[in-house]
Amino acid sequence: MKSISIYLSLILHRMDLPGPIHDFLLVFLGSGLILGGLGVVLLTNPIYSAFSLGLVLVCISLFYILSNSHFVAAAQLLIYVGAINVLILFAVMFINGSEYYKDFNLWTIGNGLTSLVCTSILVSLITTILDTSWYGIIWTTRSNQIIEQDLISNSQQIGIHLATDFFLPFEFISIILLVALIGAIAVARQ
Amino acid sequence: MMLEHILVLSAYLFSIGIYGLITSRNMVRALMCLELILNAVNINFLKGNIFSIFVIAIAAAEASIGSAIVSSIYRNRKSTRINQSTLLNK
Repeated sequence: MKSISIYLSLILHRMDLPGPIHDFLLVFLGSGLILGGLGVVLLTNPIYSAFSLGLVLVCISLFYILSNSHFVAAAQLLIYVGAINVLILFAVMFINGSEYYKDFNLWTIGNGLTSLVCTSILVSLITTILDTSWYGIIWTTRSNQIIEQDLISNSQQIGIHLATDFFLPFEFISIILLVALIGAIAVARQ
Repeated sequence: MMLEHILVLSAYLFSIGIYGLITSRNMVRALMCLELILNAVNINFLKGNIFSIFVIAIAAAEASIGSAIVSSIYRNRKSTRINQSTLLNK
């Protein structure tokens, strides 16, 4: 039992999965993301597209786990899937109407032009990504990281950054959240 | 290899989100596509892991305000078509 717990803690801290499992998880999550993104935009029933958005958010959270950022993965799962997706589902079900099933989604000229622009954006981004040499850029910007990076966990790194470098944005974020919640309640009342 | 896969997937989600945001006739679907765009940008901050927390917090505040605005528009006009853009004039 103790050996199992030590083994699990080593796995969860140093996520060096063996090669084929890593590739299989990447392909699986990537296909989940692609299908979920198509489902958000193309499904006609808005409840189905809200659940497809939930699938996209869970796949992104698993991507964060694969990249060794466990705190961000947990925050994504709690905040996005647990709060924002539920809020969107609430908005969808509260604003129901019989007009949704008459929404035929005709292929207008605007739709075609937008799809042309979006595919051109996607192609230009993909060519830029595949042409850049990322390892040179990452290796030369390692100056402002914490010295003992591999010895402390992800949540401790975030805590150190929040307390030293990003203290002012932390205070501003709390003020923004307070103002946003008060504003949302003031708008949504009678 | 993993870095480029994740960046390509985030570019794909970004373009799908922009397409859905522009061509959706329904305000709640536009909100959902906006969350897609924000998540696509958020997944780019893999190694700068403090900034992702800030983006998540900003997205939460914006989603709450967006749904409050949509519900007040629905309460006033009983329809959520996006091409009636003078809805908050009262």
